[in-house]
Amino acid sequence: MTGLGATVARAGRRLLSSLPALFGVLVFTFLLMRVLPGDPAVFFASGPNAGKEEIEQIRKQMGLDKSVPEQLVFYLSDIGRGNLGRSMMTGQPVLKDLRERLPASLELTFTALLIALIAAVPLGVVAALKPGSLVDHGVRLFCALGVCVPTFVSGLLLIYVFYYLLGLAPDPTGRIDVFTSLPPQRTGFLSIDFLIAGDIEGWWAACKQLILPALSMALFVIAPLARITRASMLVSLGSDFVRTARSVGLSWQKVVVTYALRNAILPVITIAGIVFSTMLGANVLVEKVFSWPGVASYALDALLSSDYAPVQGFVLLMAGIFVLVNLVVDICYGIADPRVSIG
Amino acid sequence: MRFVSFRMASSVLATTALLLVAAAPAQAQTRVETLRYVTGASVNTLDPNIPGSTRESFALSMSTYDRLVAFGRKQLNGKWVFDLDKIAGELAESYDVSPDGLKLTFRLRKDAKFQDGSPVTAEDVKWSLDRCVTAPILGKAQLLTGSLTSADQFKVIDPLTIEVTLPKPDKLALPNLATVYPLIINSKVAKEHATPEDPWATAWLKEHTAGSGAYVIESFKPGEQVIIKRNEDWNRGSPDKPAFFKRVIVQSVPEPATRANLVERGDADLVVDLQASDVQSLEAKGKLKVISTPQYNSITFVSMNNQIPPFDNVNVRRAVAFALPYEDMFKAALFGRGAPLFGATWPDGKPLNGIYPFQAPVKTDLDKAREYLKAAGLPEGFSTTFSFNVGQASTAEPMAALVKESLAKIGIKVDIQKLPDAQMSTQINEKKLPLFTEGIVAWLPSTDYFYRNFYTGNQRWNYSSINNPELATIAQEARFEPDKAKYEEDGRKLNAIHFSEMPQIPLWQPNQDAVMASSIEGYTYEFHRQVDYRDVSRK
Repeated sequence: MTGLGATVARAGRRLLSSLPALFGVLVFTFLLMRVLPGDPAVFFASGPNAGKEEIEQIRKQMGLDKSVPEQLVFYLSDIGRGNLGRSMMTGQPVLKDLRERLPASLELTFTALLIALIAAVPLGVVAALKPGSLVDHGVRLFCALGVCVPTFVSGLLLIYVFYYLLGLAPDPTGRIDVFTSLPPQRTGFLSIDFLIAGDIEGWWAACKQLILPALSMALFVIAPLARITRASMLVSLGSDFVRTARSVGLSWQKVVVTYALRNAILPVITIAGIVFSTMLGANVLVEKVFSWPGVASYALDALLSSDYAPVQGFVLLMAGIFVLVNLVVDICYGIADPRVSIG
Repeated sequence: MRFVSFRMASSVLATTALLLVAAAPAQAQTRVETLRYVTGASVNTLDPNIPGSTRESFALSMSTYDRLVAFGRKQLNGKWVFDLDKIAGELAESYDVSPDGLKLTFRLRKDAKFQDGSPVTAEDVKWSLDRCVTAPILGKAQLLTGSLTSADQFKVIDPLTIEVTLPKPDKLALPNLATVYPLIINSKVAKEHATPEDPWATAWLKEHTAGSGAYVIESFKPGEQVIIKRNEDWNRGSPDKPAFFKRVIVQSVPEPATRANLVERGDADLVVDLQASDVQSLEAKGKLKVISTPQYNSITFVSMNNQIPPFDNVNVRRAVAFALPYEDMFKAALFGRGAPLFGATWPDGKPLNGIYPFQAPVKTDLDKAREYLKAAGLPEGFSTTFSFNVGQASTAEPMAALVKESLAKIGIKVDIQKLPDAQMSTQINEKKLPLFTEGIVAWLPSTDYFYRNFYTGNQRWNYSSINNPELATIAQEARFEPDKAKYEEDGRKLNAIHFSEMPQIPLWQPNQDAVMASSIEGYTYEFHRQVDYRDVSRK
């Protein structure tokens, strides 16, 4: 009980101490967007008849007719009231856009990370058990292939083989077949919402749609996870406590899983946390290739058209998620190694 | 195994529709009556008048709203295209133009109803047209080109008759009423959602429709997809019956290769914005219907800033015009899919007719280019930049490489600049780019319209910043020229000035490549360069 209380208190402290960093991100992104070349008003007034008047009107609508310090004050007070502004691109409030799109990105990233971990940890362990062997080289080759093929290439290849040639995968557009009706929205995660609604057919359809994009993202991150597992397993296997455990005649399985792997898993958790945060933002290409309605492709489109509000909202969201992920990693640390949570 | 059966099936069953029926018997009925249209961009507003609206939004509004009148269609080289000269009533049962051309009278259909069941009245038409010329929306600038500028010009005569008065007999007044913007809105519904700050309900209409069109919005997810369902009461189409498809799904698929795969596998029915290379390979396979129409109301060009040295010298502009590798560019950028605007012969050195865009008598002739450079006092050449925007990279990138290579041969060193779209628009607006490629489209492609909008004044669309008083005067006069022969003569003069001044170099009119399942019929190339869902049906 006290352990739990201490964890919560620690988490609270960590969250508080991250506020200044979030504020910094906020101001920095705001200024960065204003420094970038390209006038969004001119871009959005690109209809065949948009003249000076229309440009001015859009500028006013976006609040760009005021000086930068004034804009910043307005922006901060808006954020304080939970208003992230309105996207010119979709015409919707940014908050609504992000709320609709974040579950799509999270679902995809979680699935990809899960696939990557399920593949990478055993691969890393196997490679570490027989370093320098044929298996070790095989794992290395696989990792190199995964990491050197960019996600959009593997994505397009997967589509070509499984959708175009074999017809096994559903058409690679969006989270669900356009003809399937959606379940009532609870979590925003389709695979969970369908289960809640008890619609197994829909659930399977959503999962099928998820497999290819998740796989192409997972391929890319298996390498760092497997390499870290291998390295840290090697250290752990060579340490005194493993030698002792072996010498007292514990079973091979118990030695490897309970003693070596549990000690080796800490750095893997750290890397998984970092990998997760980067994947969430960096899966733009996968989202594009699979027409996945996620936040990353949304932010990229906004950036290309200098649509300030969505980009700022996205960066803030990413910063927030990064803080949360770090927190979760810390808590996982505490569970994997109770010594960490002392103090 | 599945692959083999797919191949066999496709050889046995001729149509993709049938294939889908076989693959999904449970959904067969709805699938045949559903059109799935995939596109790279997205619908971002339900009212096309909102600044920033996309072309997909234009197309959608054509189906959800009616206008007073609509363009007819005609055959051009065996393909259906919109017909600017044949304007038929849509909500108007008939219309009259007074002999002096100053009065247009529209009589509304008695049976026309809005989607909420209330009848369409002249009051609604007046409110909608007033909105178009008064509210701060895109329609304002468009209707201006047809001398429609003030709410006083629209008068309700009786509940089914409305009169439009013009200050001058303007040829473009009537066609303007058939464009995307002057949509007829259910004014009662709209007024309910108007606020003191927003008397024209622009905010509400952005996310809701209140029209009388052929389709009703079923679901709208900006940036992802829009699903519309048929309005069974609608009878304003040319064959006087509701539109063919019960549902239309307009879905955004950003990756062009995926769009190509979808239509090839029969999962999508229709797509217009594929990469030229994909269209070519799909056409070669012969399973799908490919309708390629040169976009006869658009031009892709290389523009020079006529105010920035050395391009302020006409001989430099001519030198560039004779140094461009036209054929290679056409092949590299478009795989030759389009109508070239170069390589003509003008027997007596004069324009063949008064139509713009015209095919210019330019071709790659490096000796001639070098002579012009010498005449400009720059025999050694100079350095400059060639810009294009990222959004057009798939066609502009290979073009840029060829321009650089070819201009280097006459001593012009070119630095290629690939700019993000917003940055490119800004630089164009500020007239900062010396040499760049762009494309233009006119909804109402008449010669004077092109010249007035793209070659006069200090505004953004005058890409070349040309300032030629003679050209400006003729273009202005031609606008109100009632005599066809004199108008043609004006057009010839304008074309002659264009060629001798060479403000920019027209390259080609790219094809609109519509790729569709072989069962789809009725596709028509429309002025807004999107599919009008009311045109198409499944056989």
